[in-house]
Amino acid sequence: MIKSHPSEQLLVGYVAGELTPAMLMVVGTHVDMCPHCQQQVQDIEEQLAQKVMQNSSRVSSQLSIAEADAMLERIFNSQQGIQQPVAHEVNNLISLDGKRFTLPPTLARNSRHIGEWQHMVSHLWRAPVQVDEEQPLNLIYMSEGAQVPEHTHKGQEATVVINGVFHDEFDEYRDGDFILLDGHHKHTPATQAEDCLTLATLDAPMQFTSGISRLLNPFSSLFFR
Amino acid sequence: MSTAQPDSAEHAASLLVEIATNRNRRAFSELFHHFAPKLQAYATRQFGNEQTAMDLVQETMTNVWHKAHLFKPDRGSAATWIFTIARNIRFDFLRKNKHRQYDLSADDLWPILAEQNDSLDDDYALDDDLLMQQLANYCEQLPVAQKTVIELIYVEGKSQQEVADALAIPLGTVKSRTRLALQKLKELIHSDD
Ligand SMILES: [Zn+2]
Repeated sequence: MIKSHPSEQLLVGYVAGELTPAMLMVVGTHVDMCPHCQQQVQDIEEQLAQKVMQNSSRVSSQLSIAEADAMLERIFNSQQGIQQPVAHEVNNLISLDGKRFTLPPTLARNSRHIGEWQHMVSHLWRAPVQVDEEQPLNLIYMSEGAQVPEHTHKGQEATVVINGVFHDEFDEYRDGDFILLDGHHKHTPATQAEDCLTLATLDAPMQFTSGISRLLNPFSSLFFR
Repeated sequence: MSTAQPDSAEHAASLLVEIATNRNRRAFSELFHHFAPKLQAYATRQFGNEQTAMDLVQETMTNVWHKAHLFKPDRGSAATWIFTIARNIRFDFLRKNKHRQYDLSADDLWPILAEQNDSLDDDYALDDDLLMQQLANYCEQLPVAQKTVIELIYVEGKSQQEVADALAIPLGTVKSRTRLALQKLKELIHSDD
């Protein structure tokens, strides 16, 4: 049972297409996995469509009759398939360390953007998902018994659990859970007996806050960028 | 030309069905005259550019003309379907204008115009079931004692100690049966690859 969801504001941004690409991917992946938010998304689509499509009285159309007729003519003469999106290879399986994971549809459709796995520190791996020129997006894999040093963020960290379970000081997160943290939260993500695959985006490098891990700060941008 | 306005959701939906089944140009013209000015107002607000706005209207309505068969009345209204097409085209226009390096496309985020829209979702939903079914089949091939332990732990979620108590056998036996069973399952899974 998924217990943490994106805010309504984020879902509206997702439906309108007005989030960063990285955030669209994280929210979209949650929506893939969450029937509750799928319903929300449908409702928001209806609402936004109504705003756009029913506010006609205020709009004095600038589309002249001649323009409209010309456009209709072009549409009737257009070939089916001209706007056909290029069919990309879609792969809904990803493997690491002998384990195979099924990717939710949003990630599967964008699997061609997923880069090679890189080993970061002891129990942590990441693979970049290259969809956003400004905001890094990564698949992050924590094997059993992993711990990410305590850190805060200058910006926002959005995470969705794809498979497995991890916890921090606040809660435990399982398949589909969406977690949004900002600079006010410090946390120490960790796994115990189960491993965990997540999709996460940061809009600024993380800042490690505790003990010796503070020494990592100069390098933190190497970790999650 | 019909004088009925596609204001009512049912009427707009029936026009789309008419376009999809009969390639009815009159039905499309009616839909076009209703929605195009609204799309144009939306696009002008979004882009602040007349020509780009016109391009968005044309590309959106061209998709409506060719892809009307992908409209699913049970999933939402005609207005909503057309809006989501415009939303996708807007997204691609904006990225193209900024000459973005990665070829992220709206259709891969919101696959509303994919011919087999549901296949991935179905695969995704099916995969777990399939895996569970396969695992269930493999479990049938285990010795009864091992199978019982596996079911109590992985299906009923009991701890190894609880299983030991329930079956009145030593904890060490539960552990070794679990280990042997998992080993056997692993072999069975790999022999299938
Ligand atoms: Zn949700």
